[in-house]
Formats: sequence, C-alpha cells, structure tokens
Amino acid sequence: MPVPFPELWSWLETRPLAEHIGFTWWFPFLESLHVLGVGLVVGSILMVDLRLLGLTALTYPVSRMTKELIPWTWGAFILTVITGFGLFMTRASTYIENPAFQIKLIGLAAAGVNMALFQFRTFRQVPSWDAKAVIPSTARNAGLASLALWILVVFAGRWVGHII
Amino acid sequence: MKDSIASALAESSAREFAIYLLGNVPGLPPIAQSIHILAIAVIMASAVMVNLRVLGLAVPSQSPSEMIRRLLPWTFWALPVNLITGGLFVVARPNRYFYNPVAEWKFQMLVPVVLLAVVLYWINAREHGYWEASAGRRTAARVIAVVSLLLWLGIVLAGRWIAYTDYLYFLYE
Repeated sequence: MPVPFPELWSWLETRPLAEHIGFTWWFPFLESLHVLGVGLVVGSILMVDLRLLGLTALTYPVSRMTKELIPWTWGAFILTVITGFGLFMTRASTYIENPAFQIKLIGLAAAGVNMALFQFRTFRQVPSWDAKAVIPSTARNAGLASLALWILVVFAGRWVGHII
Repeated sequence: MKDSIASALAESSAREFAIYLLGNVPGLPPIAQSIHILAIAVIMASAVMVNLRVLGLAVPSQSPSEMIRRLLPWTFWALPVNLITGGLFVVARPNRYFYNPVAEWKFQMLVPVVLLAVVLYWINAREHGYWEASAGRRTAARVIAVVSLLLWLGIVLAGRWIAYTDYLYFLYE
C-alpha cells in the first residue's frame, strides 16, 4: 500500500534524536517503558470493560469506575504515545509501510471512536443504569468492542517487530 | 544447580518440541508474546492496582480488603499464563535465558513479588479486613505495596531488556 507523505517519514528518521534513539540504549529503554504503559492502558481499560460487560466489580457504579480509572488510562496512554513516537521515528518510513503497524493505527483509531461514542452518547444516560449489574446493551457492546479492539492493538503492536 | 537444569533442558526433547512449535506454527512467537503482554495487563489491573490502592494512589472509593479478595485471584491466573507463554521461549533456548543477567534479575524479583501477593491474599482470606484493622497492619500493607510496585516495575522493564542483553554484554550461546 503506498503511504502518504513519504518525505515526512524520511525527514523524521534522519533527525539527530531519531538516530540517537536508534543507535543507543535509548531504544530498549523507551521500548520497556512502552510495554509498561501498554500494560497500564490495557489493564485499566480491562477493568472498566469487564464492569460494563457485567462480569466484575458489580457492587461499584459504572460512573465511579470510569471516573477513578480514566486518569490512569490517559496518563499511561500519554506515556505510550511519547515512547511509541520515539521508537517510530527511528525507522519511520519502514514502520509506516509495515502492515502490522497500519493495523495497529486503525485499531487505535477505532478504539478511540468507540470510546468517544460511549462517552458522548451512551454515557449520557448513565444515571438510569449506573449502579445496575446488567446495563443497557449499547453500553455492554461498547465494553465488548473496546476489549476486542485493545486485544487487536496489542497483537498488532507486538507483530510490528516480527515484520521489520 | 542452574548449570545442570540448563544443560538438561538444552538436551531434552522438550527443547526440540518448543523449537519445532516456534518454527512451524505460523505466527506462534508473536502470538505467545502478545498473550504474555495481555497477561501483564491483567497483573497491572489486579496486583498493581491493589498496591496502588493500599498506598492511596488509585481507586479511592474501592475497599482495599475487598480489592485484595476480588482482584488478586486474577494475578494468580495471569501468572501461569505468563509462565507458559514465556516458558516456551526459555525451553526453546535455555542457555540464552539461564545465562542472561537481566533474565536472572527478572526471576529474582518475581519470586518475592508473588510471595508478597500470596501473603496479602492469604491473610486477608483468613481474616477479611486484616490489613486495615490497625495502624501497624496498615503500615505493613503499605510497605508490602511499595516493595511490590518496585518489583513489578523492575520485572516489566527487565522482561523487555532480556532481548537486548546480548547487545549490552555480548553474550552468546
């Protein structure tokens, strides 16, 4: 698949920072922090998704779970974006052409859309089902979609290194 | 003892089988690694969250004792998943892992952190609320939580560094 902005990616990978990351201990260092961030992002999302699916933490209202866990999700997500960008820039034009990397980006975008739809549509009616164990199917489906998409993102992300 | 285990594994048919699986099942290496990362995410959502809660850093509305009872079994289920998905690579290349200093640190951190999780869980299972019942016990739980968090952090970082040890120490099989 031809990728857009080829000059941008080759410009990015010739930055001194990109070369520094690629040729020193910075690469494994950023990569290990990336895995830590992935664990926290997926772990905190998993807790919310399993609550939405009515499988765990049923004594806690959904809104309290999301309120207390989303800061962890976002904090860890910022860590993964910064470290992930550092890894990406070392071989930007190769990564952007990597099918696993492309699937990962699509999966992330889909997870983002799912989260936004949940936040701005489904979650508005939260007072009517907040404390219930079994919640409306739109909210349960959002949890299921989120779970599936994040598992896809982890698989695709780990696959990136096996294709390069 | 390490030498004898490593050489026994290196000459075992289990090693041949692991190498066969990794080489012949399409996509098995990234699949096993992805499942390993997902199981790490489960540990982050259970043992790590419990430790963060005990320290007052996360999910303030949830009860620590209830979290210990509800969440730590998830850690105890995730660990064998990590053992199998990680063990596949260790069995396939025992010398690479047994004589890798970072892998050694990882396992030296793993044993105490699992024991601490078992202690938290087991005592709370015998007496629900044990860790919240007095100032001394709350302090003990906080010490366990700090040590456990540092160990989990070290384990996750070390896990990723194992693959780069050759590059650091120039070790070869």
